[in-house]
Formats: sequence, C-alpha cells, structure tokens
Amino acid sequence: MSHGSGSPRTIGVEGLSRVEGEGSLRVVVHDGTVTDVALEIFEPPRYFEALLVGRHFTEAPDITARICGICPVAYQMSACAAMEDACGVTVDDRVASLRRLLYCGEWIQSHALHVYLLHAPDFLGCADAVELAESDRGAVQRGLGLKRTGNLIMETVGGRAVHPVNVRVGGFYRAPDPDAVAALADPLRRARDAALATVDWVSRFDIPDVPGDYRFVALRDGDRYPIESGRPSSSEGLDASPAEFGELVVEEHVARSTALHARLAGRDPYLTGPLARYALNSGTLPPLAAEAAEAAGLGPVCSNPFQSIVVRSVELVLACDEALALVEAYAPPDPPADDVQPRPGVNASVGTGVTEAPRGLLLHHYEIDQDGTILHARIMPPTSQNQLTIEADLRRVVQGGLDLADDDLQWRCEQAVRNHDPCISCAAHFLDLSVVTT
Amino acid sequence: MTGRRPRVVVAGLGSEYRRDDGAGPLVAARAVEHAGVGCDIGPMTDPLDLLGAWDGADLAIIVDAVRSGAAPGTVRVVDLAAFDGAATPAGRSATSTHGIGLAGVFRLAHAVDHAPLRVVVVGIEGEDFGRGTGLSPTVGAALPGAVNRVVDLIREVHVCA
Repeated sequence: MSHGSGSPRTIGVEGLSRVEGEGSLRVVVHDGTVTDVALEIFEPPRYFEALLVGRHFTEAPDITARICGICPVAYQMSACAAMEDACGVTVDDRVASLRRLLYCGEWIQSHALHVYLLHAPDFLGCADAVELAESDRGAVQRGLGLKRTGNLIMETVGGRAVHPVNVRVGGFYRAPDPDAVAALADPLRRARDAALATVDWVSRFDIPDVPGDYRFVALRDGDRYPIESGRPSSSEGLDASPAEFGELVVEEHVARSTALHARLAGRDPYLTGPLARYALNSGTLPPLAAEAAEAAGLGPVCSNPFQSIVVRSVELVLACDEALALVEAYAPPDPPADDVQPRPGVNASVGTGVTEAPRGLLLHHYEIDQDGTILHARIMPPTSQNQLTIEADLRRVVQGGLDLADDDLQWRCEQAVRNHDPCISCAAHFLDLSVVTT
Repeated sequence: MTGRRPRVVVAGLGSEYRRDDGAGPLVAARAVEHAGVGCDIGPMTDPLDLLGAWDGADLAIIVDAVRSGAAPGTVRVVDLAAFDGAATPAGRSATSTHGIGLAGVFRLAHAVDHAPLRVVVVGIEGEDFGRGTGLSPTVGAALPGAVNRVVDLIREVHVCA
C-alpha cells in the first residue's frame, strides 16, 4: 500500500475476510482517479460441472449441494427444478410448499449468519463477531437464536441442519411428521419477533450513503416474494423463461479469476441478490415485512448497497413469516415425491431450473439422455453474476473516499465487497481453466 | 457429569470432493457407528455451522484433515481447553475461506456462553487436496487409527459418567 505525488496509490487486500471463499481485491488510483479495480478470486476451480457429466440425473441435487455449506438447499432446489423441467414434470403443490419451507430455513440460517456475524461488525467498529459478542452479547445471541431456528427447519424437513439428505428429484424421500412440523411454530414465532428486532437494530446503524446505478435481475413469482420458483426479470423490463434467461447470459473467463463473469446479452453487468429481489418484488412482501421495511426507511427500491443489511433483515422477517404460515398449513405430500423419469426415446432432453439462493439467482441447466445420464451441466451461481457489479461498486466507493486514510479506505473496500455477501467458493467452479498472463 | 447421560457430539469438517479433505466426515461417521454412542452432527464444510449444533455438549470432537508439514496420515489430538483463544488474530486481519475459523468459532461460542464443556480436535495430516473423490492411499491407511482415537475419546466420557 503506497501513495505519493505522481505515484499510483494502491489499495490491496490479499485475503478478504468474512466472505465465503478465498478472494482478494486490488484497486489502483492514479492522479486522483481510480484506474484499476480487480476483485481477484484465487480459489482453485471446482469442476463440479465436469464432475456431473456421466452421473445419473437423480444424483445432481446431492452432488451440487456440496458446492456450498451455506446454501446447499439452493443448489438442491435449482437442480431438482432443472431435472424436472428436462423430464417434463411439474411437482405437486404440497411438495412445492414443503420446498418453500425448507428454503425459508436456509434463508434464515444464511441471512442471520451474514447480518450478525459477518456484516454487522462493519457498522459497529468491531473487528469481528467475537468482538461484537463481547460488546453486545444480546445482539449476537439473538442472531444465533435466529440461525438455530433455521437449523431446526433444515433438520425437520431436510433431515440434517447442513447438507440436507431428504431432498430428491420430484420431492422428498420422506414427508416430515405433522407433529414435528407443528413443533416449529413456537420457535418460528420467537424468530419472527427476533427478525423484527433485527430490522430495527440495523436500521439505526450509521450507514454510508453511496447509492449505485444498478441493473437489477431477480425472479418474479406472481403475487409472492420469489424464493423457490419464478421467472427471471429485470429492472429494465426483462421477463424471460428460465431457459431464455440462460441463453441471454453470457459468461466469460478473465485471467485474474477462477470464477466466470456474467453479462446480460453478452454486454451488460447486472446485480442479483437481496437488493434486486427487493427492488423487483417489494410490492409482494407480506404486511408484516412490508411494515418493517417502511419503518426502517426503505422505499420500494433500495439502491444503496450499504443498506443491503437492512434489506436482508427485512427478508429475515419475510422468511420467518412465510415459514410460520407454511407450518400452520402443512399437509404431508402423499406420495412424498412425484415419479420423475427421463423422456423415453429422447436422446438429449434439456432442462433449466432457477431459484433465489440467499445471495441471488441460481441457475442450473442440464442435458440428459434417455437413460438419465447427464451429458452436460451448467451452474451459474449468484456471485459470478455479481462480480462485475461488485467491481463497479468498488470503483465508486474508492472514488468517493479518496480523502480517507489507506487503512480506512481499505476497510471501506472490504465492506463494499461484503455488502453483496459474495460466496466465492460457489462462484469458482467453472469447467475450463485457461489462465493467460502477459 | 452424574445423573444424566453426557452429550458427546462429533463433527467431521471437510469436503468429500477434495480427496483427503473428506477424511474428517468419514472418520466422524465411522467412529460414532463403532462407539455406539455420541451423535454425528456433520458433515460440515464451515466451522460456523458448529454454532447451535454443539450447544450444551459435554464433549465436542471435531475431526478435520490438516496440512501442518507432518507426515501424511499422522493423527494429532489437540484439546482446545488448553488453547489460548485470545492470541488468535481478529477477523480484520484473518484470511479464511469461511469468515471465521474453528478457533474463532470457539471464542465466539465462549463469548455467548454456548461453548461445549470441552472441545477436542482430531487432525489427520492430508496429502492430496486436489479435486475428486477418494482418499490418498496413505491417508486411507491411517483412517482406522483415527477412528480408534475418536472412539476412545467418546468412551472416556461415557466411562467417567
């Protein structure tokens, strides 16, 4: 890190902390102008797409779940949706509701983790969650209580708190016992109160005002807030089927990163995740979450990435509220899974599945043969879609913070990355690795 | 620890898709099966998932593949009760794949009074952390020994009770 008259000022963070995966960022400022911003990902590529080729289509949910320990349900749900699309099956409403409940559990787990343990310390002058716990034990206990409720849903519906084992193409191996599901109601009522307290807590943080000019992309799901289904949409009027969206997004490799960088129509960077979901769907929030958003000062669209912690907290309210409603209306699917078979006589069936992972839109696309063997796999996680936009954020944050000392500017840059809760270990999984250095 | 059955939880950390990194979950699952007691709360790839899962445990055993420079297959047992958590660098300077490492999670659990009474880490020195499934022959050969160490730790607690 150095700066002086005529020489470039370089802000470098060699190991990003409190993001999921391993990454670094490099910003170069020359004569008061940001000349280079690079979010570098150096986690080895994970080759999950290659690993799937030759495996049976029913294995995709469990294999892809292992891409990420934070959002395994997202991978399972997108994989199931894609395989069911390839086989021409639409699952029973009860299966769909149970999937939404399981997904709510993951949102609660993931958002509670990010809000309390990874993001809040940024706004409270704490080095990490341990320091935050030492200064405000009650807050961290509230966050951990929320996370435990998410775990409870995952255990009850998914069979295990991490990497659930009850999910299969077509539905579930076993329908959860109604009494066990009913027992989630009281913890969820407490979690909903804790989520409301979370919105109130984060809305009082001293949040930098650095609005961005984003092209938002998220699912829309009729009059519901999108979680496990919907159509890809954008703030510029896009309304596409999952397959059409997959064709619209062009992913490119850049030498500095082992994650692909996505552009819409091969041209435009975009943002997916809580800010995008909220911008395109705030009108569908249930009353309790909508009231919490309004009380926190959020309008129908939030373009300040530093306020993403508030939006994420509103989504915590939504997820607890939705989960409670689903628990109260639970009727076990019978059978627990629909029969899903490859299309007979079709040599190559293709299917695309999109769902809203906690960090944003997650697309799976597969081609399978008539025996169910996977011929081709494409997985497009939220972080690779967001990477170009995160870099644009960094450019803006640095340009607006040139008067800050190096340490403070470095800290602000790390915050700018964490605003989007990037899951770098999810993003670094592409098939072709051809790094060119000149 | 009298009057009730001690709660022992075992968690394997690691990914089966990164060769020897999968040793932790394998050892944890086999040890719980052999011991006939204890609860396998893994597999996990993120130490943060221990929060909540290990609450109230008398003993938490964390099994993980490690890379310390020792000979591949070496099994080491470290009791975190003797661990000086305060010496761990704070998050701002930490480099981690998962935000907060095991030591940080242990400190955090202490800070909110949710730490198990005792945490023991069983580390197995890995050799191959490349992509793909299956352990390297050296680590595979060390697996029974690691399983026995974990079984002994579980049974110690139950005998004491």
